[in-house]
Order: sequence, then structure tokens, then C-alpha cells
Amino acid sequence: MENMLKEMASVLKQEIAASDITEGCSGEAYLDISEDGFKAAISDIFGRYLVLTGLFCAQDFEGHKGFTLFYVFEKKGTKSMLVLKRKLGAKTAHSIAETFPSACWYEREINDGFGVVFKGGFDNRNLFLHENYPEKFHPLLKSFGSARTDGEKKITPLQEYWFKGFYGEGVYQIPVGPVHAGIIEPGHFRFSVIGETVFNLEVRMFYKHRGVEKLAEGKAPEDCVCITESISGDESVANAVAFCTAIEKIAKTKVPERALYLRTIFLEVERIYSHLGGLAGMVVDVAFAMGASPFFILREEILRQNEVLTGSRFMKGIIGLGGLKKDVAPQSLTGLSAFLGEFTGRFNDAMDTIRSSASTIDRFEKTGFVKRDLVPHLNLTGPMARATGASVDTRLDHPYGLYEKIRPSQKILYGGDVLSRFEVKAFEVLDCASIIRRLIDEMPQGAVSSKCGITDGYSLSMVESPRGQNMHWVYIKKGVIDRYKVRTPSFCNWRAIEHAALGNIVPDFPLINKSMNLSYAGTDL
Amino acid sequence: MNLSFIAYCFINIIFAALVSPFFMGIVKKVKALAQGRMGPPLMQQYYNLLKLFRKEALYSTDSSWVTRVAPYVNITVIATAALCVPLVFIPEAAYGISNVIVFLYLLATARFFMALSGLDAGSAFGGMGSSREMSISSVIEPVTIVVFAALAFIFNTLNLHEMFRESAGQVHLFDPSLVLISIPLFIVLIVETARIPVDNPETHLELTMIHEAMMIEYSGRDLALMDLSHAMKQTLLMAVLINIIFPWGIATEMGVAGIISAAAGFLLKGAALSAFIGLFESSLAKMRFFLVPNLIMIAFFLSALAILLEVFR
Repeated sequence: MENMLKEMASVLKQEIAASDITEGCSGEAYLDISEDGFKAAISDIFGRYLVLTGLFCAQDFEGHKGFTLFYVFEKKGTKSMLVLKRKLGAKTAHSIAETFPSACWYEREINDGFGVVFKGGFDNRNLFLHENYPEKFHPLLKSFGSARTDGEKKITPLQEYWFKGFYGEGVYQIPVGPVHAGIIEPGHFRFSVIGETVFNLEVRMFYKHRGVEKLAEGKAPEDCVCITESISGDESVANAVAFCTAIEKIAKTKVPERALYLRTIFLEVERIYSHLGGLAGMVVDVAFAMGASPFFILREEILRQNEVLTGSRFMKGIIGLGGLKKDVAPQSLTGLSAFLGEFTGRFNDAMDTIRSSASTIDRFEKTGFVKRDLVPHLNLTGPMARATGASVDTRLDHPYGLYEKIRPSQKILYGGDVLSRFEVKAFEVLDCASIIRRLIDEMPQGAVSSKCGITDGYSLSMVESPRGQNMHWVYIKKGVIDRYKVRTPSFCNWRAIEHAALGNIVPDFPLINKSMNLSYAGTDL
Repeated sequence: MNLSFIAYCFINIIFAALVSPFFMGIVKKVKALAQGRMGPPLMQQYYNLLKLFRKEALYSTDSSWVTRVAPYVNITVIATAALCVPLVFIPEAAYGISNVIVFLYLLATARFFMALSGLDAGSAFGGMGSSREMSISSVIEPVTIVVFAALAFIFNTLNLHEMFRESAGQVHLFDPSLVLISIPLFIVLIVETARIPVDNPETHLELTMIHEAMMIEYSGRDLALMDLSHAMKQTLLMAVLINIIFPWGIATEMGVAGIISAAAGFLLKGAALSAFIGLFESSLAKMRFFLVPNLIMIAFFLSALAILLEVFR
């Protein structure tokens, strides 16, 4: 922390006095920054290769009437986290999207939620509020009640969402979604193609806004755990753990050892079944159904193990503040360990089938290439970033819970294509299985929950979900949640698909999409 | 027109329409078993068709008469094509319908109307499907002609009925040219019926489909007609392969006993070939779209080789 402060002080030269720096609950440095110093600070930060991992807004934060923006930066490869606190005097702010392109969606999100206007950004369209919402509708404002709003706005063709147009000889547009032919979540993909080759792709998400952040406001933290579990279907444990960790850090609660072990097991089991779904999906999308079915079968068996362990196939309702809501039966743990012992062989057999199928590998190879340069600019995360040659894993970079002690192994591939993502996920499945078996062997006895009091304060917590880094920021005021911000990995990674699809042919797009396995619900809170 | 030909017309078309869904069902069942699933019952295809026939057909407001006419054109054309390919017995005279060229262009007509109907409603996927179908057919059509030309060289006739008759009369079982030509015939069967590795009959992934994309606007009885004509087309192409390579049992003259035993034989052989198609589909991933011509080229080279063999015999 000392080094960190010194480094940051030098970063921001004389503009910031050391007294302005406060340390957050997880060791991140919070820096109060004035509007004048902000621009210089941003260019300094950019020059030091920090990555923007989050940007959010809070209203009436710590006595400041108005809006406070939080810019979360991470220096990849170190534990350093820097949060710029920027108190706004007015409802306008200067955009940083020209410097940090990943800020674009965040700024549009804040604009929709709070009505804060960002000037100088390259894209000021609405994000999660589609055009048929009423004017001046900003649901995250404190003045916005939970009352019913006055209906839908009728829109003229001119007010419709404006997609980037590409015109010219032979260029035509294919609108796909939000209603799809298969049973998948809603999302709109606007392809501009020349023949079959994708010339440009623009995604439009946010068709299933549930108001998760607003829902949490004014609730006691323990009532929010079930909300966080519903953020994204197969990341329920990751989100619940991230949320509980944030609250526990504020209250300085120590979670019992056994609860930490079990939480880690659940996190890794979740990674296994989520990855299995992803692997199967990729194989299905090249129409090799016979190769995919072993993965589906294994996934189903894991879901059944989950039910035995926790009473829920998706392990909902087990993570609680201060530990777990209930202990698991010892025989279910030994059952899981035995299952995983046999699982490894079956998984390897399934992988051999795929690896020896020339037609499948031909489809995977060189498809959906993601450039490594994109990783810091778009803050790509998770297996996708690791398949692009970036060493990013929250479990290693910012260890939480047990990961200080148990270091997962990491597989970095440089291909950046579907095959690399396939192999990275396959490696992680096996690694998770061995971690879980080790944890079960070392499982300590004792309580699974300690009393977690609720203290006011704020905290940032990060968890590596199956799809990558999950960031939660919770601000508790008067014993209830005043602001809850979630940034899921899908929110970052969706941007990569627009780049990955370029130059590929349209029939390969479903495969590229599946290889990233992004959550629509997780993007749209 | 003699009695034998009239009886042939009825028997062949009705038999083709009746057995086609069964063969489709077998392919589905085998694929499901390969994946470790139970799969639908073998009769499910019939239930589906019956259900669809009872439902009303809906049309897009943007569609023209082409959409409304195409299913009937398709089923008529395929039923006529069924006369080119005797399934259970070969009539004495065929009045010109047995010509290979007639058969191929009847199939081409069906394909043409299919592609038109895909374009008709102006939906993004229908157009994509039609454009892909036409791209593929620009490669597969000339190759199909070469494959049937090779058959014509082997049997010295353009008449499919005579080919079958000669084949059925063969004493020696494995003519090397016939073994050679069986591979291109199988590839033509796969490509023409929109199967893996060219297209995926199971998928409704809107961006990858070809055949399903063209039919996406159809519903109710129109969809049933489209499905049935597709299944019949598969049966006809299967019959060409079966009756040339494994012709034993086909009746060469009209007779109740002969026809019944030939029908049972065809059912068995067709079921075996369907099972083989199912296994073949299960063992492969779909090809990259632009690599599909490679597969078709295999058919081209093998049939060109068969022609050479016959020319220098």
C-alpha cells in the first residue's frame, strides 16, 4: 500500500496531496480529484498503462449533494487498484471515452441511469433505456420512486435507435434478433455484410432490464443476496460471493475457514458446469452433436451433484453473509470427490473425440480472432482474454478468500481464436476439478457462518466468475444499501464480439458467439 | 398407355410418399442414439405431418403468389420426379418419363421454386438461405450432371428404368465402376437433401441454415407439403443409389407377390441406408460454407474417373 500511494502521488504530481488518498476496504486507493486536475490525471494514468475496469456513479455520496463518479483502474499484473472519486458540481462531465474506449458503455449507462451528460464522447446514444422509454426517465436517481411510469412513448422512425450505416455496392444489412429462432436470450445483432463476409457488426443488448441496482437500494444487505444470485443464471455463486465479500469487508467480519473452503468449492463447481455448457455449445454450433453430448451429460451430472450438495441445481440460496446459510453433508462432499475422480477420465475421452475430429478443428481454427491489443482497451477478461495471450485472472491478480493459499494454474494461449478459447476452457475444467478434490481432502471442520454485523461504509469486491472478472461495489448508509453497482464480465466482453466477427463469414458467427459464451442477463441488470 | 404404366404411376408415387417420412425418422433416431438420447419414435414424422396438415397456413403480408404456389409446385414436381425412379417395380414402357435429364431438371425446378419462395417474403433469413442454396447449386448441378453422365456411360443409356433393369439383371455383384459411382451418388444425396456436412437439418440457428432458412416463412399444411416433398426427394435419390448398387429384389414385371416382396426389400435397404446416413451425419461437423465445393469436387473427380474407365474399357 505504501508503494502504491507513492506511485500514485507521483502519477498525479503535485495536484494531489497525500492526504486526499484513502485506503478502501480491500486495499484499493481512493483518490479525491477535482475537476481541474481530472484531465491531467487521466492522461497520466493512460500513460502508465492502467486499465479502466469500472466506472459508475453514486448520488449523494458521503454528504456530497449531487453526483460522484468513480473510475476504477487496475494495473494489470499487480494488485494495485486505483479509484478516482470525481465529485460533480453539475449534471455534466467530460467524457474519457476517447482515451479509454471501454468507458463508452459506462458513460452511456450513467447517462441513462442518472441523466449525467458526458461531453466529448464519440457515442452518446442511449444504452439500457431504449427509445420508447419516456423523456427524462432516469431510474437510478434517488428522486425516482418505484411508482408505475406513464406508459410507453410512441416513437417516429427518426427517433429510432441509430445503427452505424454502411453503404456501397454489394453491402447489405442483416438484422438479427432480439427474438431468435432458438431458445436464447434477446439481443440484436446488426451485420453489414458483403456477400457472406462480415464487414461490420454492431450489437445492441439491454432488452431485459430488470433494475437490479435499483431493486437493491433501501434493502438490508441480507435481503439482497437472493437478488445478486439472480443477476446471471450460471454465475449465481460468483455474484453472491462477491456481494457477501463486499459486505463482510465493510463490517470486517472474518469468515470461518470451512465456509471459505465450501465457497471456493462452489465457485469452482460453477466454473466447471458453466465451461461444460460453453464447450458443448461450441461443438453443437459446428453441428457435431455426437461430440457435444458427452459434455452435456457431464454438465447434467454436475448439476445433480449441486442439488445433492446445496439443494439447488444452480447452487442458489447457500451463500450468506458471514459464510454459508447452511452446512453441507459430509457424504455429499465425498460423493462429489468420487464423482470428480471419474469425471476427469470421461472428460478427457470427450476431449479426445473433439481433438481427433478434423472437421471440428477446421471450424474452430482461425475463427473469431480477437487481437491481443484489444484486451486493455476494452478490458477483456476471463477465459477469452487468457485465450488471447493475456495473463488476467482475478483469482491470481487480486486473490480473495482461499485463493491466497490455493493458486489455480493458468493456461495462456496466444491464438485468440475459437480453438484457443475451447482449449483454455477445457484446461480450466480439469484444473477446477483437481482444486475441488484437493479442497475436499483438506476440508476443515467447524462452523460455516459467523455473525456479520452491518456497518456503514463502502467496499469494492472482485470475484473471478466463469466468464471473468466480476466487480461489485456496495455503499451502505444507515444500515441499508444506498448504492449497489455490479459490473459483470459479459458487460466488458460483449464489445469484443464486434471485433471478433470482422472478416469472418456469417455462418461462422454463431460459433464465435458461443465461444465467448456471454450472458445477456448479466450485461443488462 | 398400358395398364402396367398406370399401376406403376399410382404405386410408385403413393409408396414414395408413404415411406419417405419413415426414412427421415430412422435418420433422426440413429442420430439421437449416437448422441446417447432416446430420440423421437419412428412414427413421429407421420404425426408431425398429420398435425401440420390439419393446421392453417399463415402468410406474410409482404409475400406474393409465389409463396402460396411454391409448396404445391414442389410436391407436384417431386411426385412427377417419382415416376422417373421406380422404387418397387419397373414398368414395361415409361413414355419418356424415365429420362435422366427429365429427372434432374424436375429436381432443379423444385429447387428454383424453393429459392424463389425464400426470397419472396423479403425476410433477411429467407434471402440468405436462397442465396446460399443458389451458390451451392451452381456447383452441385453441373457435378450432378457429370455423375449421371457417368451412369449413362456405364449402362449405355439415358433411361433410368433401363439402368435399373440392367442392374437388376446383373449376375456379377461388384462392377468396379458401380462401386466407384456409388460415392458420388451418396455425396449428391447428402448435398441435395441439405445434410451435414453441407447444411444442418436439425438447426434453427438462423445464421447458418440454408434449407431451413428458405422454408422459414411456411406454416401449417404448406410446411407439411414442403417437408413431405423434401422427404420424398431424399427417398428418390436414395432409390437411385439402392437400385443401381444393390438392385436385388426389385420386380421387373407386374405381379402382386413380386411387388410386395420388392417393397419389403426396398424398405429394408432404405432403412439400412438411412441408418448409414445417420451415422455419417453424426461423425462429422458441418463444413465451413466456402469449403463445401471441395466435397462436391470429390464427387466430380470420382464420376469423371468412372467415365474414363468406361470410355477406355
